Amino acid sequence: MSIPGLGQIPVQQTPSTTRTITLKPLWEWRFESPFPSSTSTGGHTLASSSLAPPTTSPSSSSSTTAPPTSLTVKLTSGTAERDGTELALGKPYVLAGAKSKISTLTGCTLEVSGPCDDYVAECEDPDDWPAVSYLNLHFALQNQRWRAASGGVGPRVLIAGAPASGKSTLARTLLALATRQDGGQQPVGVGLDPRDGMLSLPGTVSAAVFGSVMDVETGGAGVADTPSSGPAAVPVKVPVVYYYGRQRVEDEPAAWRTAVSALAGAVRGRREVDGEVRRAGVVVDAPAVGVGKDGVGLLVHVVEEFAVNVVVVLGSGRLNAELQKSLGQMRTSLGEPITVVQLDKSEGVVERDEAFMQQTREAAIKEYFFGDAKMTLSPATQQVEFGAVTIYKIPDLSEYLADEEVLEKMEPVPEMAHWCLTVMNASVRDPLETIRYASVMGFVYVADVEPERRRLKILAPVSGRLGDRPLVWGHWPEPHINLLG
Amino acid sequence: MSSNDKAAEVAEDYREALQDLTMNSRFEISNLTVVARENTEHALAIAETLQDHIKKVAPQRKLPALYVLDSIVKNVGTPYTLFFGRKLYSTFMDAYASVDNQTRRKMDEMLKTWKEPVPGSIDTRPVFPPDVVRPIENALIKARTTALQAQQESIRGQQALLSGRRQPPPPYRQTPTPPGFRPGSQQPPPYGQHAPPPGVNGHQQGHPLQQAYPILTNNTPQPQFPARATPQAAYPGYQPPPAPEAYQQPQQGGISIDKLNNDIQQLIAATNAEFAAKPHDTSIQTRLRALLDLQGVIQHQNLKQEQLVLVRNQVAELSSAVKIHAAPQAAAAPPLPTYSTPTPLPIPVAVAPPPPAPSASAPPVAAPALGGGGGLSLDTLFGQGALATLLAGAKTGTPVASTSTPYPPPAAIRSPNPPLAQPAPPAAPVHPPAAVPSDPMALMAMLRQSGLLPPPSAPPAGTATIPPPHPPPAAGPLDLASLLAKAGQAAGPPSSFNNINTPTSDIQLKPSSLKRYRPHLARLLLDDLGPPCTQCGRRFATDAEGRRRKTAHMDWHFRVHQRIAEAERRGQHRSWYVDADDWARSREAVDEDYVAPAAGDDDHDAGGVPRGGGGGDGEASGRGGMGTGRKKGKAAAAAAYIPVPEDSRVNAVCPICQEKFEMKWLDEAQEWVWMDAVKVGERAFHASCYGEATKGVAAGSNERGATPARATPEPTVLGKRKAEDDLPSSKSKVKLEGY
Repeated sequence: MSIPGLGQIPVQQTPSTTRTITLKPLWEWRFESPFPSSTSTGGHTLASSSLAPPTTSPSSSSSTTAPPTSLTVKLTSGTAERDGTELALGKPYVLAGAKSKISTLTGCTLEVSGPCDDYVAECEDPDDWPAVSYLNLHFALQNQRWRAASGGVGPRVLIAGAPASGKSTLARTLLALATRQDGGQQPVGVGLDPRDGMLSLPGTVSAAVFGSVMDVETGGAGVADTPSSGPAAVPVKVPVVYYYGRQRVEDEPAAWRTAVSALAGAVRGRREVDGEVRRAGVVVDAPAVGVGKDGVGLLVHVVEEFAVNVVVVLGSGRLNAELQKSLGQMRTSLGEPITVVQLDKSEGVVERDEAFMQQTREAAIKEYFFGDAKMTLSPATQQVEFGAVTIYKIPDLSEYLADEEVLEKMEPVPEMAHWCLTVMNASVRDPLETIRYASVMGFVYVADVEPERRRLKILAPVSGRLGDRPLVWGHWPEPHINLLG
Repeated sequence: MSSNDKAAEVAEDYREALQDLTMNSRFEISNLTVVARENTEHALAIAETLQDHIKKVAPQRKLPALYVLDSIVKNVGTPYTLFFGRKLYSTFMDAYASVDNQTRRKMDEMLKTWKEPVPGSIDTRPVFPPDVVRPIENALIKARTTALQAQQESIRGQQALLSGRRQPPPPYRQTPTPPGFRPGSQQPPPYGQHAPPPGVNGHQQGHPLQQAYPILTNNTPQPQFPARATPQAAYPGYQPPPAPEAYQQPQQGGISIDKLNNDIQQLIAATNAEFAAKPHDTSIQTRLRALLDLQGVIQHQNLKQEQLVLVRNQVAELSSAVKIHAAPQAAAAPPLPTYSTPTPLPIPVAVAPPPPAPSASAPPVAAPALGGGGGLSLDTLFGQGALATLLAGAKTGTPVASTSTPYPPPAAIRSPNPPLAQPAPPAAPVHPPAAVPSDPMALMAMLRQSGLLPPPSAPPAGTATIPPPHPPPAAGPLDLASLLAKAGQAAGPPSSFNNINTPTSDIQLKPSSLKRYRPHLARLLLDDLGPPCTQCGRRFATDAEGRRRKTAHMDWHFRVHQRIAEAERRGQHRSWYVDADDWARSREAVDEDYVAPAAGDDDHDAGGVPRGGGGGDGEASGRGGMGTGRKKGKAAAAAAYIPVPEDSRVNAVCPICQEKFEMKWLDEAQEWVWMDAVKVGERAFHASCYGEATKGVAAGSNERGATPARATPEPTVLGKRKAEDDLPSSKSKVKLEGY
């Protein structure tokens, strides 16, 4: 049918057609879905603050009828999983803002609707399929866990590799698989990449016990998976968080090491008293570091701190060789040999470009304060006098080199607007060192600074006073959005 | 339009909720009743959903669903009574025909109550009008008469049968297994009653699935239907259904070792013949070897009944496999006419102990007949299964939905008399060879794992799909010696996780080993873990512990669903992260840990979770959060807790005993709490300490104790109050509580 001019009409998004995708065992359905349009969260929810009920209709249908703007996936037969977490049969999952995959061990059919860029990856040779080796890796670790059942310590795994080699995905997968096994094991997941942030905002290192099923929709380790005052449909994960405050590990390696050590101390503490955690072990998601001496040194530090006994290197032969060399003769603090094993990276891993990463970070910040599609949160705005807050700045790199202070105290300045400040579990009377490496209590967002009136307007997740908690102004995550705009 | 949508949605939700109703749980039933009451505008949709559910669900889950119906008509009444009444006959009779006798008795009782007014109601009309109930009664009376006659006949037959041998031990196989769910038959059963929900390849169908994979689930000696065995609060007015009873087949008993031996011998002979015909087929060789091993075990070890059941099932599998293997072969190899009979039943007729030469026309009838004549045998044991098939066959012939069609008298299920066999053959399922796990290695592996067999001295070669089970290395977590020592004991569920260890122990942390595809491992993450939760995909084992967890888990889902809507209205916020010490001290509380308070019998209708709710008074202090304390828990002393104060100025140690508060993530409250704590004014105390300390003081002064504390000057506030949007939390708190 050719009507003149018809081609000029911008093609409206095709009415969300439902497609059926059939996967054979080990096949993967890989997709990229856009972020949800930013209309839902933001302004109007804030206007109501914590005082009035949100205007969004809390209809029970929100889970069953997905808005056509988001990618919705439903498992109609067989078994399928996202990063090790099984999908429930017949339940629609909304997968927004993700570059991910649904895989299957037994074959499945999926019903897919909504916008996404996707394809089916067919497994030609199972022996040459990275997902198979990841599954076997799980069982190899599981052997260690079974051995640890009688009071021993479960495996401590470090996942290292080049950027975009699927480290975090593998870490999540191993955690998810472990929680499935044996009636729910409780491994500790550790995220050390400040570019991402696990269960927390970027710029942090964190750990949490994964004691139950992970959220298929969020991927399982997003900010949205952390506790809020309301009930969560998927069990929340409780992280312990330390602030590093920079984007790259190499920016201030000493600070990162210290933060990692503090985190490892917390994990050790937990492991000593929590038998479940001890048996299930630890999975550490390492940041991508250079393969030079410095980078490997950082990884060795992690290995030492977490008593890692299994190092998985994804994709990078050079890094594997370097780590073999450095760790080959080492023993863990528990006296075990350290195994370094290199596995292929999945060719499904996509490079997340800067724009996507930025969107991810923005989404994380938004989710921290406002929740996600499933749970609307109501943060509280506060007007605070300059004198009532104590803000420390992580020095700029150039200054830092000359200065031995780890933090410098400062008055609020207009440049702080739109930054997230980190609230530390410390007192303003503590030494600077203590403050900087204290665990994180949360984040506040600086909405506005009015120097002439000596006030600043902040957005805090929880209404109530901050007391004498020091706020730390770091360099990461950078302000990209005006949350209250 | 929109109301249609809404109705469909309600129906869908209801259907999902019904899916989770696996047992006679008063809690769930009353919840479902409440939902029905709250959605009377969609009564039609709900009624249809429920009727549909009763029709489709597996027999052992029908009773709970019927109780829901019963509860709704009694507690809600119209319009449900009207909607259910229309199809009550078919709903009831349909279910009646497919359940066991115990359940039927329950249904009889229930039916009786329908003729009477609702107990305690001023309305004197019966629950259902007589013209609805009467047809059912008439049909039942007719059925009973027929049954009685049939029974008498069968008893006569059984007496003859029993006289020849000792009294069998009590029946082990307690649940009638529909043949469709017999091990390995993954083919969906062709009849409506037991069919899994459409579009599902069986995974959603929780418990019956268990039945389908005994080979795979080697953890439990004999899979059972878990739903019924759970002792659970009885639905009011009814006894909880007792443990599943056998069909009314008194002759059914334990398994005779001799018989089993005999069967195995037959199988060996058959396999031998097959082997002779195809000497190069290594799989036959392997099977033969496995069978010989098995025979050795049976002969030399004293096995328990449940293990025998296991073996017997396996033998049944194998024999049907042999049959199928043999069938296509028969044309080429005429010396084996014995097995050439394409038997339409999945029952291993061919292994019948007497001369295995049923003529082509004979099998359906011959199976029970042989069993009757030859004492207790596989045939007798499987006779019930056969009958279920027969019945099913009869049913498929009858349109289930149609009310007018006369039902086959229930007597048909009750006794294995030969005459009843006659409706069967055309409808009986023929298993495709693929559906039968003919791999004898599965059997051997399983036996080995349950400790029945020694490790293979020389692993049989040539298994194509499953690598030979590796003898665990000496360093392995599981030594076989201990397993062997357990031979003769049933492999209990607790050790199950050790058992599944073996298949993974060959994995080394080397790239070459990690890369090898081991298809048999997938089940360790899937079916071996039990059926998944329909809401979140988490799997639960089918043993007692697993069932307990699943119940707790489903309760948790339910509570959360209830509270999500509530919480949205009230407003919620992200919690602060905990500090490192508290994190190290905290424990993951997975839903099951907190089932106890919620399982209480009070306060069902709202489904509300009774909060521990101690220290409600102190909570008006400056904190956000859902610590509204509006519901004062009765057991405040027992479960006193307060949400962990977000205000840093609250003391973290009890001023009395100087010990820190125990912090816990309380699922009930969905927040971090200090256990055994109360808040008095700005200070937190251990509830017990505080109770001790204030014991001397007159009762009631506890509450007032807060007053002086409040008089202390307010510590510095973060920022000064300004304009409307800067409400201090205490005020916003009050506002929030209004909701």
